[in-house]
Amino acid sequence: MADMTQSGLAVTPARIAAPRRRSPYPGWFFLPAAIIYGVLFLLPTVASLYFSLTRWTLFNSTFIGLDNFAQFLREPFLIKGLINTVIYAVITSSMKVVLGLLLAVLLTSQIAARGYLRSVVFFPVLVSTVGVGITFTVLMHPTNGMINEGLALLGIKGPGWLVNPNLALYSVALVDVWKGVGLATVIYIAGIVAIPRDYYEAARIDGATKLQNFFYITLPLCRPATSTVIILSFIGGLRTFDLIWAMTRGGPGFASDTVASVIYKQYQSGFYGLSTAGNVVLFVLIAVLVVPLTMMLNRKEGHE
Amino acid sequence: MAGLELKSLYKSYGEVEVIKGVDLSVDHGEFVVFVGPSGCGKSTLLRMIAGLEEITGGELWIGDTLCNAVEPRDRGIAMVFQSYALYPHMTVYENMGFGLKLAKTPKDVRDAKIREAARILQMENLLERKPGQLSGGQRQRVAIGRAIVRKPEVFLFDEPLSNLDAALRVDMRMELSKLHDELGSTMIYVTHDQVEAMTLADKIVVLNGGVVQQVGSPIELYQRPANLFVAGFIGSPKMNFAPVNVDRVEGTSVTISGKDIAAMTLEIPLNAVQAGDVLTIGVRPHDLVPSPSGAIVGRIGLIERLGNETNVNIELPSGASWLAVLDGDQALQRGASLIMNLDRAKIAVFDAGGQAVTAEKPLA
Amino acid sequence: MSFIRKYWLSAVAILVSVVVFLVPFAFIVLTAFKDPKQASLLDFSWPQGNYLWGNIVEVVTTRNWMLVTAFVNSSILTVASVALLVIFGAMVGFVLQRRKTRLNGLIEFLILAGLMIPPAVVPTIWLLQGIQLFGRLHGLILIEVAYGLPFTILLYRAFISTIPRELDEAAIIDGARPFDVFFKVILPLLWPVTVTNIVVQSVAIFNDFTNPLYYLPGNANATVQLTLYNFQSQFNTSYNLLFTNIVLITIPPLIVFLFFNRQIVAGMTAGAVKG
Repeated sequence: MADMTQSGLAVTPARIAAPRRRSPYPGWFFLPAAIIYGVLFLLPTVASLYFSLTRWTLFNSTFIGLDNFAQFLREPFLIKGLINTVIYAVITSSMKVVLGLLLAVLLTSQIAARGYLRSVVFFPVLVSTVGVGITFTVLMHPTNGMINEGLALLGIKGPGWLVNPNLALYSVALVDVWKGVGLATVIYIAGIVAIPRDYYEAARIDGATKLQNFFYITLPLCRPATSTVIILSFIGGLRTFDLIWAMTRGGPGFASDTVASVIYKQYQSGFYGLSTAGNVVLFVLIAVLVVPLTMMLNRKEGHE
Repeated sequence: MAGLELKSLYKSYGEVEVIKGVDLSVDHGEFVVFVGPSGCGKSTLLRMIAGLEEITGGELWIGDTLCNAVEPRDRGIAMVFQSYALYPHMTVYENMGFGLKLAKTPKDVRDAKIREAARILQMENLLERKPGQLSGGQRQRVAIGRAIVRKPEVFLFDEPLSNLDAALRVDMRMELSKLHDELGSTMIYVTHDQVEAMTLADKIVVLNGGVVQQVGSPIELYQRPANLFVAGFIGSPKMNFAPVNVDRVEGTSVTISGKDIAAMTLEIPLNAVQAGDVLTIGVRPHDLVPSPSGAIVGRIGLIERLGNETNVNIELPSGASWLAVLDGDQALQRGASLIMNLDRAKIAVFDAGGQAVTAEKPLA
Repeated sequence: MSFIRKYWLSAVAILVSVVVFLVPFAFIVLTAFKDPKQASLLDFSWPQGNYLWGNIVEVVTTRNWMLVTAFVNSSILTVASVALLVIFGAMVGFVLQRRKTRLNGLIEFLILAGLMIPPAVVPTIWLLQGIQLFGRLHGLILIEVAYGLPFTILLYRAFISTIPRELDEAAIIDGARPFDVFFKVILPLLWPVTVTNIVVQSVAIFNDFTNPLYYLPGNANATVQLTLYNFQSQFNTSYNLLFTNIVLITIPPLIVFLFFNRQIVAGMTAGAVKG
């Protein structure tokens, strides 16, 4: 049929429309994944948009408009969770980018014990987050904790890492970086290894110093790795739940609550509508922050 | 017995037509070469025959079967790819037997066929290796072996030699020729290299822009190119061209002259041209001979001495550059002027539209 | 000069790595060897006597052998989810990379959405209850598959783009049907990225705390991460047992790490940087 709409040649009688054969890349290959993903992820996501507007007991729901969201913006502890989430994501992702890059440069240089160092940096990535959380909760104990005892040996009085409301969130973020920096490092190592040696040799002939090498070759050329690290760790930071839950349960008070921990707390208390509204808030927060961030990172890449 | 018949084949991707009505018939046992510059549609045409590209319009007959809607596996074809496309995770033996295995051929029959093909290609000792352990030439053999094993009616080759180095390419070319003689199957071969086309083909199909330019034996194409494109594409080094005007027509004697060409008279069929027409003449570099009374005068540019022959670039008055291939080692000076004569019987003449003005010259 | 500087830098790096990364792990292991009294001091000291075996026995038998149940549950969860992820993810990645249709834009959007959007917890529970999968292991398996698919597909798609299409075509000419092309030719070639996927997903799913917490409540269904709360209470935490438990559930990831350390970096090169 489409043949008829084309150029004059198409209507010459010699041209015979051929029946179609089946593609060697069958569409039904999508099916199993599509069903699982559609039913268990997409459907609840769409449903959340409705249930966030209701008072909900799982058995029946009453439509209450934007009340849940209004409550979110009214309750100081919910607002606090929102702000904490952003702070947490910014801190963890920026530290992972900086430390990950520095470690990767170090671990791709001619340093001794490179294999040991790579392993030891990466290993925490594979360990249970809850296990890490519990361990550091113990290590960060204000009086008996190993960290403060170590600092005391140096004559420094360690802070109350997790009991000081002004510090708790940052302490958890620090542990997050400790656990996650290995992944950023591995991604950066992959990016740096992929840079052709020619550039460094050309730069050497041009008389570049090591610092110049870093700023003019390594940094710009591992930009794709930077984008990956930023996006992955930023989204991870915004969604973080298990580490916070294992270490502070959002405490002391609400000092280290994030949106994800608020969602769980509201769920535990049976405020299903409010919990779901929290989900939508987190979704919007991620979309508002990550979409422009992705576009910015990709656009700059295109200019080079 | 399987020949091929292509009837007005079309292929388009959306609005873009890449094959614009190809008619061609191939006899059983013929070695046909599709040749043309990159992007001319030669590979697409081959892939349409293979069944890897959908046919937008027209008919493809292989033997007595209309194959437009037939799956590749049922077309009785085998194909050798440019990159060989050997399955990296299978041994040579498994690579060659894969098609038979899929067709549920009994194991002993399969084994016999694989060993037979390996014998023909002299690679019995490679059967247990993986493609990664083979040299380029050996991979090429395996790819051909994989095709032979299936005993196809038609072999399809998509630029199979272009990944080999020059010396190996010459060897494989001869082996392919030998293989064709031995198997006697129909072979269709795509290449951009006109030397391969000239040496291998029974029949050459020159394609450009999705249109067949000329079909014929290598010697026909060389001596009687149908148009400027074929004239320029076939033959190495390239044919020289110059624009000329028709001064006078007396029966079949036509006098021409141009900026670069002194007036000369050619034999051209009756009524093919008229006085005042603008033509293009083509002269092969080998047909130029230095002579004190020649029709062409130019200044010598770059000289390449190859020992058995000398390639001379000549700058003509219009600024055009011609190449002459002279026998032996010639004592020439760059910058000097050179007068050359050309063999009138071998001059190709094209009209303003680039089509050959058919002169019934006898084949040499 | 540079010789000295090189070793100076190496020495500092090793020292810092020991303090920052090794000491916490040493602390975990040492505590697992201690008796309750010494463990409760929470200090970095050599165990007074070896209580490891006793600790292990107590951890394993606590609450009616809950840890054993949890290990069985976690193993089934991990193996089944990863197997489904690998097969289904590779199938999608293959067709998505090879066949360009109008649907591709939409599919890619949905994949990116899956990477970004946090799962809607309560509606998912509501839905699982609706289809009788809430609180069941196979329900959680499907959940892990749904959440893991986007990343798996992206890794596969990036890798498949490096496999020449001529290989599919050679197989088609050889008479392979779509099913054969994928399972006999393409899937075996995906092994390097399959290893990456297996490592990444199995570690993530084995260590998953959040999803079992929400979707698989109840002690009979416990997964290993949830067992850590057996020994923690507000007033009386058995630190020796807690850290023995941590050691035990870290063994599987440690094995994965020892076997696949090298492939992880290789796989990341293929997937994360280009993708």
